[in-house]
Amino acid sequence: MAAHVTSAAVIHVVVSGLATGSIYALMAISLVIIYNATRTLNFAQGEMLMISTFVGWSAHEALRLPLPLVLLIAVAAAAALGWLVERLVIRHAIAATHLDVLIITLGLSLVLRAAAGLVWTHDEFPFPSFFRERPIGLGPLRVAPVSLGIIGGSLALMLALAALFRWTRLGRAMRAVAQNQRAARLMGVSVERVYSASWVLAAVVGAIAGVLIAPVIFLSSKMGLVAINGFTAAVLGGFGSMPGAVVGGMLLGVLENLAPLWLPAGIKHSVPFLLMIAILVIRPSGVLGRVRQRKV
Amino acid sequence: MRTLLTVLALLALLGAPPAGAQTPGVTDAEILLGGSNSFSGPLAFTGEQITKFGVDLYFRVVNDAGGIHGRKLRTVYYDDGYKPQEAVANTRKLVEQDKVFALIAPQGSPPVVATLGYVEEQRVPMLFPYQSSPVTRGKKWVFQGMTVSDRSSRMMVDYLAGQRKIKRFAAIYQDDEYGKSFLAAFEKDLGRHRLKLLAAESVKRGVSDVSAQIAKLQAAKPEVLFLVLVPGPAAQALKERQKIGWKDVLMVSTGPLTDERYLALAGDAAEGVEGLSLWPDPVTSDLPGVKRYREHMTKYFPKNEPNRYSVAGYFAGMLFTEAAQRAGRALTRAALVAALESTKGFESGILPPLTIGPDHETQKQGFWVRVEKGRFKQLTDWLRSE
Amino acid sequence: MRWAAAGAGGVVLLCWPLLVPPYFVFLTSLIVVNAIVAIGLNLLSGYTNQLSFGHAGFFAVGAYVAAVLTLRAPALPVVATLALAGLATALVGLALGIPCLRLEGLYLAMATLAFGFVVVEAILNLDWLTRGNDGLAVPAARLGPLALGSDAAKYYLVLGVGALMVAAAVNIARTRTGRALLAIRESEIAAQASGVHLAAYKTLAFAVSAFYTGVAGGLFAFVVGFISPDAFDVFLSVDFVAMIIVGGLGSIPGSIVGAAVITLLYDWLAAFQNYRPLLFGLILIGCMLFMPGGIASRMAKWTHQAQ
Repeated sequence: MAAHVTSAAVIHVVVSGLATGSIYALMAISLVIIYNATRTLNFAQGEMLMISTFVGWSAHEALRLPLPLVLLIAVAAAAALGWLVERLVIRHAIAATHLDVLIITLGLSLVLRAAAGLVWTHDEFPFPSFFRERPIGLGPLRVAPVSLGIIGGSLALMLALAALFRWTRLGRAMRAVAQNQRAARLMGVSVERVYSASWVLAAVVGAIAGVLIAPVIFLSSKMGLVAINGFTAAVLGGFGSMPGAVVGGMLLGVLENLAPLWLPAGIKHSVPFLLMIAILVIRPSGVLGRVRQRKV
Repeated sequence: MRTLLTVLALLALLGAPPAGAQTPGVTDAEILLGGSNSFSGPLAFTGEQITKFGVDLYFRVVNDAGGIHGRKLRTVYYDDGYKPQEAVANTRKLVEQDKVFALIAPQGSPPVVATLGYVEEQRVPMLFPYQSSPVTRGKKWVFQGMTVSDRSSRMMVDYLAGQRKIKRFAAIYQDDEYGKSFLAAFEKDLGRHRLKLLAAESVKRGVSDVSAQIAKLQAAKPEVLFLVLVPGPAAQALKERQKIGWKDVLMVSTGPLTDERYLALAGDAAEGVEGLSLWPDPVTSDLPGVKRYREHMTKYFPKNEPNRYSVAGYFAGMLFTEAAQRAGRALTRAALVAALESTKGFESGILPPLTIGPDHETQKQGFWVRVEKGRFKQLTDWLRSE
Repeated sequence: MRWAAAGAGGVVLLCWPLLVPPYFVFLTSLIVVNAIVAIGLNLLSGYTNQLSFGHAGFFAVGAYVAAVLTLRAPALPVVATLALAGLATALVGLALGIPCLRLEGLYLAMATLAFGFVVVEAILNLDWLTRGNDGLAVPAARLGPLALGSDAAKYYLVLGVGALMVAAAVNIARTRTGRALLAIRESEIAAQASGVHLAAYKTLAFAVSAFYTGVAGGLFAFVVGFISPDAFDVFLSVDFVAMIIVGGLGSIPGSIVGAAVITLLYDWLAAFQNYRPLLFGLILIGCMLFMPGGIASRMAKWTHQAQ
């Protein structure tokens, strides 16, 4: 039953892969932002994104708001959630080891997902899209505007982040804390402010990613699981590196989509994890990362 | 030592269950029914509709009218998330700890099939499971709740290949008992028309993305694509088809899937989709039973919209009540089974008059529908599957 | 005094099926199974600080090996089946542990997470052997001519094996190996400097941990009687981690208590459907914030205060 897949179909699949890859990249970036500042992994990243998107959706359903406003509300909800979590939960555990904080974020992800189920049920909902669903023809190719829109939106966001890190005071402070926390503090950087800012920023990036991807994967309480691919993307590209996160995300999205065309379709689910294991075993520093030396 | 005492103390906290009644689940005042169903996972919506807004809706009506021979009906449900192993554990708990009288409307072929052995061994009636695998046929204590896949397949293939003279078929199916039982049935029925499936792609349970499968299926150029999926991936399949601009194929959904629910997810990608419907349109049908269903829904759950899943649960509740009523005040499991087996020409006002034979099947028909402006429009009369 | 209490406890354990209904016996068997996993996980995470989020994978391997062996080679006595399940899982553990030697903390956690997924996917895809998504019904274990089909029989099997494994663990903790593992947890560099062969012990920890979890998986298959891949998901791995966190890292009695708490909570909360993960998460968070040493450290503090 091996029918020949056309090259137009392959291009479509690659573009689709770049679209989901951009979302993975955004997820990876938000994880890296938090990691760089606080050296913790936020297992609840996906769930925070999911809740923000749900809040935006509820506003849309109740008040019939236009989509740009929905995005704004989701972003505001994310900022609030990120700030609250950092302040109320993470800050108090700062004396604990990083593994302990990991467990806390794990518990948080369970709590958030269950809470979402209680408020909105575990059902799936369609989410309005900024972009049209019907494909546009570029000659013999058919590309879905929603894919292009996701890629474009994500790239714009990444550029904005890059600008933030390079040219704003906050960005420089965050980079300083990422490099050497103690030195940054000695230089007068408020490390606590950077912590808060990191969590808020990461949550906001997540919310934008959520609003972009929800039309494609449907809004539901299990939407947060997309963040797991964000982890893989971050590891692939080199954990801690921003450009690495982008490269890792795009690579993962495309590979994940191409593999099932020639291998059994069931492989798609495993691709991220197989890649992760492969990278961790062969080159733990990732595609773009630098090999870190351990100091005694 | 401390450990031991702690553990024993914890166990003791669970408390001992009440002393067993003569017939489990039946006391002077109430009848206890239960089921393992989906309240999370891919079938969370349908699970809740079947139980809380279906079975429980009908039982509310019955209880308000005094119950069955003076006994009120109570239900308890546990979540299995569409996972067979959880269903096994839940069913065990329901039978041994909660001591339910019977299991009602559990959902999903994989979970239900996993519990069959236990149910038969414990001699607990399993009533009207919302699933389509033929494996439940011929079991002494199980009464089928939905048109079985081989009957569905016969109706679908005879209609499409026989009446509409379609020749090229393909299928996208869930990679478990639900999907595979339909696949086998399709192959067999197409064989009778001297046709075969040109391509079949599987989708793992719980996964939503089907873009690779749709791409491969397009390459096979079928006229009809059977969708043997659950609402999430099915809606994805429709959207994916629209995204790649694949116009010259007819998407056909199987019975368990055919409901406006997955159309809502797919949006305008669902126009022109067809399928086999097992229930009359719950919103527009003016059959007396369906009208009553709508009235009851408005009375007890005004915010909940009618759909085929809650109709199925409502019907299950109705069937149980009817049989339990006939079984009389001395209600035992055997008496219930006997009453069900002797159901003849039961007028539900929703489905054609029902006679349950030794095959324990309660539903054997369906009719063809096509999506027009977001709703399924009836195209044929009830198709026969014998 | 202590021996009398121990004796009384032992008698209660042995007569348990006579004292409580079969469903409770079933639950107790489950607790012991989970306790074995918790002890195994503790050996890895509590002692050598290699936190694993993939133990559901080991559990699945043990369960499926035991199930398939019982189906295909029914003449094999149950002890042999369990031993083989444990060994097979230990080999898998070795295969995972060696490449993971270079990883630490975060990276290790992610590698084990990925491993857990991959193992279950592999089991799913080997559906000619495992019946894939539809799951496998496990026939009763055989001990000679006896078929261990009843809850009580399964309980005694689990209790017997469990007692052995706990005793073994206690022994390991007391010996040089145990001290070496603890030293590694405190500081890898220091341990290495004092002559502990790091790679060997870390890999050993992986293999032994996997062995324990594999045997527990086999027991689980017998106790529940039906296994399917989607039950061995990442949330199960999280449950296992929760058990040792709640019970107390590095403590054997802690593992048992943690397993009991989580297992019972799971059953007790079944009626609450949607609230179950909520409460679980809150407990995890609460434990980390207010009781970072787990129940074991709390209990230790109480007994110290009592003295």
